[in-house]
Amino acid sequence: MTVPSSPASAGVPAVRCRSLGVSFGSVRALHRVSLDLAPGRIHALVGQNGAGKTTLAKVLGGLQAPDTGDVHIAGREIPPGDVRAARAAGLAMVHQHFSLPPSFTVAEALELTAARPGGRPLYRRNELHRRWRDDVAEIGGEAVLSTRIRDLPVETRQSLEIVRAMAADARILMLDEPTALLTPAAIDALFERLRRLREDGVTILVVLHKLREVAAVADTVSVLRDGELVLGPNEMSEVSQGRLSDAIVGPASQADRAVGVEAAPGAEQQTLLELARVSSRASAFEPGLGGIDLSVEAGEIVGIAGVEGNGQRSLVSVIAGLNAVTEGSVLLGGTDVTRAPPARRRRRGLRLVPFDRNSEGISRRAPLWLNQSALRLIGRRRRRLPLISLRQYKRQAATEMDQWRVRYDAVTQPAESLSGGNVQRLILSRELAPGLQVLVAAQPTRGLDFSATSFVRRSLRGLRDAGAGVLLVSSDLDELFELSDRVLVIYGGRIVAGFEAPYERRAVGDAMTGARR
Amino acid sequence: MTGGLQRVASTILLVGVSFLLTALILWVSGYRVGDVFSGVIQGSMTATGAATSSIRWAIPLLLIGMGVVIGFRAGFFNIGGQGQFYVGACSALVVTLGWRGGPAPLVVLCGTLAAVIAGLTWSLLPGYLRVRFGTDEVLTTLMMSFIGALVLQYLTAGPLRNPSGTGQTAASERIPEAFRITDSSGVSATVLLLVGGVAVLVWLLLERTRFGLAMTLVGRNPTMARWQGVDVRRVGLVNFALSGALAGLAGAVELYGPAGRLVTGFSPEVGFTAVVVALVGLLSVGGTVVAAVFFGGLQSAILFLPIVTDLPPPALVLLHGMVAFLVTVKFRAVRLRRTGPASEAPTG
Repeated sequence: MTVPSSPASAGVPAVRCRSLGVSFGSVRALHRVSLDLAPGRIHALVGQNGAGKTTLAKVLGGLQAPDTGDVHIAGREIPPGDVRAARAAGLAMVHQHFSLPPSFTVAEALELTAARPGGRPLYRRNELHRRWRDDVAEIGGEAVLSTRIRDLPVETRQSLEIVRAMAADARILMLDEPTALLTPAAIDALFERLRRLREDGVTILVVLHKLREVAAVADTVSVLRDGELVLGPNEMSEVSQGRLSDAIVGPASQADRAVGVEAAPGAEQQTLLELARVSSRASAFEPGLGGIDLSVEAGEIVGIAGVEGNGQRSLVSVIAGLNAVTEGSVLLGGTDVTRAPPARRRRRGLRLVPFDRNSEGISRRAPLWLNQSALRLIGRRRRRLPLISLRQYKRQAATEMDQWRVRYDAVTQPAESLSGGNVQRLILSRELAPGLQVLVAAQPTRGLDFSATSFVRRSLRGLRDAGAGVLLVSSDLDELFELSDRVLVIYGGRIVAGFEAPYERRAVGDAMTGARR
Repeated sequence: MTGGLQRVASTILLVGVSFLLTALILWVSGYRVGDVFSGVIQGSMTATGAATSSIRWAIPLLLIGMGVVIGFRAGFFNIGGQGQFYVGACSALVVTLGWRGGPAPLVVLCGTLAAVIAGLTWSLLPGYLRVRFGTDEVLTTLMMSFIGALVLQYLTAGPLRNPSGTGQTAASERIPEAFRITDSSGVSATVLLLVGGVAVLVWLLLERTRFGLAMTLVGRNPTMARWQGVDVRRVGLVNFALSGALAGLAGAVELYGPAGRLVTGFSPEVGFTAVVVALVGLLSVGGTVVAAVFFGGLQSAILFLPIVTDLPPPALVLLHGMVAFLVTVKFRAVRLRRTGPASEAPTG
């Protein structure tokens, strides 16, 4: 099949945007992004979490109106935030999360959600199947049409999303992180499909996380960092992996001088947290752990670097006792707690700063004092009478919150009335109370402003200096380099590399994106 | 605590509005509203034995309502009080009739224990399904209520039917007088002491123990509670067990107290009214006691009114339903506001 190109469309970029800007409140998601994507090629868009990739894809697809700038698709200007116009111009999107209704059969779901012209309100089953038979030829043929969506394997669902997107004869296909949930074999199959679509003249923009995948499939690559287009679109043949890594993680900042941190004085070598060949099952959003070995000594901060979704959540959940371990063992202070419930681990001095402070770290509707006292509810009982004094609980909560300078009016106000930084202080006041042996801190400064961030970092350093062990999971490389005595890189549920100060940003970046194994 | 005062005020307002609406409907239907409401006052308070009758009807509402309060505290909508109440009463009846020669205190104690265990089991089954599989407890507890009603019907119409009974509805034999803890008025020092003790214990459990606080935490945000090391499943199971135990206890009190025997389909709404009682009581122990007395009075008035007016008995059920309706709407609205997208607003 030849590429159908009329003289008029030759040389016109499939997608063109000029100085796009999008802000969410004070956060700048996109800033002066201008981009031309040549037709009939596979374009990769890469960048760290929060770099603006998804926002850019949404703006191009008409799902998000930009504050400034304009979008042209196949030479036509698209009114800001007009999905239908973008579709009419031949653009189709495959989102990060699957959107087909799980209880429908494949044929029903396609008919319901795909914008294929010539639909009728009523079908007989056979007619419906005939209508979609050719589209699913590549993913199992007619047999798959009567399967329910929820019974399909992940990769078939993914393919189906593409089938649906292409049903309306799209000429431009955008995929937002399509590989996130796929196995390596399924990723290969996906890339093969993309190449075939390219043969048919379809222009493809694919958001990717991993450099190896970019190298495998893309013709050109563009890099977003902090909402700005810092590279590209460049021909893949023209950019080295090193240059890409640099573009993604940014120029060497101060932390890169890798001061390192001097070891806590006089802390004896004592392993506080140890994971030995720990494996766990995959969740819907993350790979499981595949034989993780890890230890945190007294007086040390161990950083876990990684692109999000590579098993960080599984790792923290397994340590907390919220996810089951399928193999291997977890030791706290030398005691095996592999099968111990969360409460027993907490009593052994495990403290947690969870990923999502508003849903996992606090109870928004519960009063401050109860949030602050949560750990006291599972502590060992010291008195014979089970009755407690609320006044004492409230007083102690107030004392500890004051120590951490949580700003509040009354201990009875609900936790949702606090600002983000204050919530984190509240969590720290609870978790860093005496009795702490090991702290697992997940994204402890995400979304915090400068002063709150430096406060949290100071606290972690203080802990380390006091002889505690800290496991710091973060997607902020600067933070990891600044605080950690060692940095381990997690990729696909495995620890793939370990680094010590002075850190080489590029090497860490390569390991994170799977360029180096 | 201006927020608390506001909630009390708005609930009282709702009850007032319910009275007004009911009055309006009665007036439109051609009844003399003044007579009806003076009848309500008489039937619930001033007439001979009315106050006692109000208390008598408040007792099961209070016990079951406490169970509802406990359920809500941990975020469970355990509305199966009716069935738990029935199987409780049935178990007590079986024990009592089976051991009618035994020493009275011991038989009553065993019967009560059987009632508590039966109610607990009836509640624990949906509870287990809820914490293990996430099955919606509203449906399962409700369905269990229907089964409970059928158990009662089976026993009273089948094996335990009083063969010499003459009534239109099937009923069991009477239990021996020696086993009764009240006369037919349904109120005695023993019962009042028992109910008061339960209220105090529930209050202590919810407000003054670590387990109670853990329940609150689970009710507000189970994810956070899990991260904090609270055993959410255990809390859930104990919670369902306690709710069911209280409803079962109410069944025993009913049997040993005012009823003395079981009749098919007796007190058919008490378990559901108890949910409204708990909601009107703002899901607090003290509030529920007050609300139980209020609804007990209403129930007493419903039974009294046909004597003094030409009002058919179901007419006052209207008032009942109105309160239930408005309170539920308010409760749902508050819940929606809290969990909806606008939940960023600070205190409400």
